Order: sequence, then structure tokens, then C-alpha cells
Amino acid sequence: MADRTANVTWIGALLDGGGTIESVGSDAFGPLEVTWASRAEEPDGRTSPEELIAAAHAACFSMALSHELAQAGSPPERLETAATVTFVPGTGITKVALSVRGSVPGMNEAAFVEKAEGAKEGCPVSMALTGVAEITVDAALA
Amino acid sequence: MPRIVREADLVWEGTVARGSGVVAAATSKAFELPISLASRVGDPEGKTSPEELLAAAHATCFVTSLGSELARAGTPPERLEVRCTITMDEVEGLGHRIVSSAITARGLAPGADATSFAHAAEAADAGCPFSSLIKASATVTIDANLEEGDV
Repeated sequence: MADRTANVTWIGALLDGGGTIESVGSDAFGPLEVTWASRAEEPDGRTSPEELIAAAHAACFSMALSHELAQAGSPPERLETAATVTFVPGTGITKVALSVRGSVPGMNEAAFVEKAEGAKEGCPVSMALTGVAEITVDAALA
Repeated sequence: MPRIVREADLVWEGTVARGSGVVAAATSKAFELPISLASRVGDPEGKTSPEELLAAAHATCFVTSLGSELARAGTPPERLEVRCTITMDEVEGLGHRIVSSAITARGLAPGADATSFAHAAEAADAGCPFSSLIKASATVTIDANLEEGDV
């Protein structure tokens, strides 16, 4: 079992106030500033819940795909993944688009695409985001 | 309302067991962080993980919802502190799954009382897009307490 923790403070109102991701359990990052304007408009160098979800999903998917490829006897040399999260205020998170390019010795493109689909279905973050209407993956060999 | 799009990039090299990756905030450039499987499931050793990034996302999403609900109730907060803990566990037959997100919120909101603060926290949970999403597959708990006195 793995517990992972983050601490956030907020001062003032939504529109003219601001928050800080003060620290995380691993000490890997923080403090990171967040504001409503940087979440909904120009990021201006600040992260947002949606960008953090994109980072979580890209990381989880890549680990799952690396695992699937190794299971198939073709561990990857390198995977480059991008995750794009779309958020519509009032509606919620409507889409996550994953895109991956892989250097995988000994594997053809059709098999790689199939493994990428499997990783998209099975990774823990995908399972946690089953409420998202559309999760797509665009996979190709580099 | 316009669509808001946020992107992250990740580069992974090698097998999942012995390889490692770097995850970067592509939209804001706010962070670029190493990750590995060992630090995801065991001792973090200074590295973040998908679950920690989700904890940061949920805490941030919840805190903005709570601030907004308190303002709507006429008691805008002076200060809110939110902690989120995401738990991943091995579920029999399903492998690793994110099973819960536990939120603890403390706040200073002049004019609010314990009851109205608790109501605002419930409404914030209902209104935070991330809370709504993960309830489909995990348990979300909210423990909210109003602070008394000065900042």
C-alpha cells in the first residue's frame, strides 16, 4: 500500500486570492503557486489541478506501457509521452488525450499500438479516471 | 465557458523495474521531476509519483472549490489549509488501484460557524471536478474544521 500526500494553502477570495502547493510527502516539489486566473486563463508559469492530473496520467501510463512491453519480451529503450487534459468549467474534465512515441527494439508498430491501448485501459490513473468521457491514445514507433 | 487545456510531457527510459522517467509541466513549465517505479510503490526517496501528483491536484481543486463556496455563503475565507492523501493498494484480481483520497481541511472564515463551514466543505466536494471523477472508483473522505480566533 502506498500513501502519497500533498499540502495546499489558500489565502483570500477565489478570483483575487491565491494558493500554494506548500509541500508534498516526497519533498520532490513545492512550494508551487496556483491561482484561478492561471488555471482558467493564461498559466503564466503556474501549474493547475488539470496540469498535475496530466502529469500523473502521463507518468502512470508510461510505467504501465513499459511493463507491458517488457512482459512481451521487448522492453523499451525510450518512451516519450504527452498527456493533454481538457477541462470545461461547470462541466468538469471532459477528455484526456495521451500520445506516445516509442523506441522499442524488436517490436512492430501494430503490436506497439496494441500494448499502448492495454496500458491506457489498465493503468491505475486511467482506472481512477473512468468518469472522464473520453480517454484516447495515439501511439507510434519513433 | 471556453475549454481549458493543460499538458504534461514524460520521457521514460528502460524497463519499468530498472528504468526511470522525467515528468514535466508542458503548459506552465512549473516543474520537471524524476520518477521511478521503486519510489512510486516504496520509499519515495525524494521522487514524486502519479499518486502524489493526483494528491496535489485534488488538494488544489478542493481548496478552490471550498473558497468559492465560503464566498458564496457570504463568509469568504482569510486562509484555508488542505491536505490530501491518495492511497494506492493492491486489490485482489485487479492489481494496483487507487482506492481512496482523504482530504483534511482547516480554515479561518470570519462569520462562518462549524455548521456552515461543514456545509461549504460538502458543497466543495460536490463541486470539485476531481472529487466527482474519482468517486466512480475510489472513496473520497472530507474532514473539515473551522479554526477559531485570529490568523
